[in-house]
Amino acid sequence: MAFLALIGTLAAAQQTPQPLASQNAGDVYICPMDPDVRSNNPGKCARCGMALVAGLPDPVEYHLALSVTPRPVKPGQPASLSFAVHDPWKNRTVTNFQLVHEKLFHMFVVSQDLQVFLHNHPTLGSDVNFHYDYVFPKSGMYRVLGDFYPDGATPQLIAKSVIVPGPAPKVAALTRDYSPKDAENLNVELVTEPQQPISGAKTQLMFRVKPGEGLEKYLGAWGHMLVASDDFIDMIHEHPFIADGGPQIQFNVIFPRAKSYRVWVQFQRKGVVNTAHFDIPVKQLGQ
Amino acid sequence: MGTQTSQIRNSETSNWTSRTSAVQTKISGFGFEIRDWFNFKLLRRVRYLLVLPLAVLVGTPAFTHDIITTPVTWNREISRIFYSRCAACHREGGRAFSLMEYQETFPWRTAIKEEILERRMPPWGAVKGFGDFRNDQALTPEQLELVTSWSQGGSPEGEAKDLPPKDKLDEMMKESVWYGNPAEEDHRAGEIMAKGDFKLTKGFLLDGLFPKTVPENASFQILAEFPDGRIEPLLWLDGYNQKFAHSFLLRAPIDLPAGTMITGIPSGATIALLPAPKD
Repeated sequence: MAFLALIGTLAAAQQTPQPLASQNAGDVYICPMDPDVRSNNPGKCARCGMALVAGLPDPVEYHLALSVTPRPVKPGQPASLSFAVHDPWKNRTVTNFQLVHEKLFHMFVVSQDLQVFLHNHPTLGSDVNFHYDYVFPKSGMYRVLGDFYPDGATPQLIAKSVIVPGPAPKVAALTRDYSPKDAENLNVELVTEPQQPISGAKTQLMFRVKPGEGLEKYLGAWGHMLVASDDFIDMIHEHPFIADGGPQIQFNVIFPRAKSYRVWVQFQRKGVVNTAHFDIPVKQLGQ
Repeated sequence: MGTQTSQIRNSETSNWTSRTSAVQTKISGFGFEIRDWFNFKLLRRVRYLLVLPLAVLVGTPAFTHDIITTPVTWNREISRIFYSRCAACHREGGRAFSLMEYQETFPWRTAIKEEILERRMPPWGAVKGFGDFRNDQALTPEQLELVTSWSQGGSPEGEAKDLPPKDKLDEMMKESVWYGNPAEEDHRAGEIMAKGDFKLTKGFLLDGLFPKTVPENASFQILAEFPDGRIEPLLWLDGYNQKFAHSFLLRAPIDLPAGTMITGIPSGATIALLPAPKD
């Protein structure tokens, strides 16, 4: 705690979106979601549309507390998830949030066997916690990711773990699956460059959807992606690197380790959200 | 931005000089990306015209021949992360080579990226988000992204004015779990040594866990199974290295009633359950 308090001492002055003391005001404007998108002038991020902010707040981690009721939670029965966000300096409940892709809070739920995937949005209650009612479909471990942006901080992606008592699901080894997928009203094809992704190096994931018309932004972006390693350790949330409403959508991902990864992508067409997943074995250089 | 040929965008980091494929070419750092999935020949001709002048204008290649393709700099983002997460050991007089200065860090840029992506450094040794710890030293996804971006993008130094004040450095380092005598074990009166599945015979207010012995390369999840049936994740050790032994201190103590089972500790491992200090 003391560690965080000290970090807080350094960063406390940056709780509002203002330049660091060591920077000249107005020198650079940075997208809080895509920190590589910058400009010398204020404006909006060309990638995700968020307003660029001056300066650079320190990348400090906030605290996310997740409580699940009833206790114990039971598979197939309603449960209530409640998320509380606290600042890392004084552990106060955070009350102000920026919109991230049209929502204050994005939540991903993934089951241990990678069969369950959910992307939805808990709502802010009068208690300043975010709430979501969910039915965990089976027993076992789930990873629950909260994606939110406290005002004046940096965007946060924080993982929590929920264990639903009962037999753990059988976890099947992932093998390469690039086969085209028929989603709700889209067919989704995947090509990667390089063909064999290498850990620690950038991989371009190029999706082609058919039909190529009628695509719409979903939550402010042309697509959303969640990446999970088969050992349930790495969780990565990405948005398209290149997309313009046409049938080709490109994401760039650096797979951290030589593991197999499941990749879920979501695209919206004519008001319908399409979700498809692919499995990508990643090797080490020279393997 | 049309679908047909090249697109120009603010870009992410990439060391395009190392690429042999013409699928993509880009440069950034207040820069642009020139990219085309299909019009490769045109791209090859155009990229040198645009990329090289931009690199000269916006890059900071004082220490390298690499072309700078990232806006992330040592002075602005990376030094802050390293001071808070690495300098307790990686400093002059510390237990590892110094990473305090840009000139010291630059030669290690690729190895650093690999070490952090593999979670070998910082040697926290546990999976983030399984249990909640007040002394968590693991890098956040944002910090991982920044260091990776910097490493891949030519590792620029940036402007001196962006460097954080040095007088804060000691404070930041001292909060690390490895500052001082990292081998010193966290002994507490009333601690419980757990081996294998372990049932509490009386209530216990758990403040943290200290791995006393852990088999090499072991990965295991320690759970608290309460008498009422609920299960709470306590700690998922993965890549824990005894050489960097440390406690895992919970953000808030967990009240474990009598009858609680501590499960998941494999053969050959001993985990000390640390009681919360009495007021």
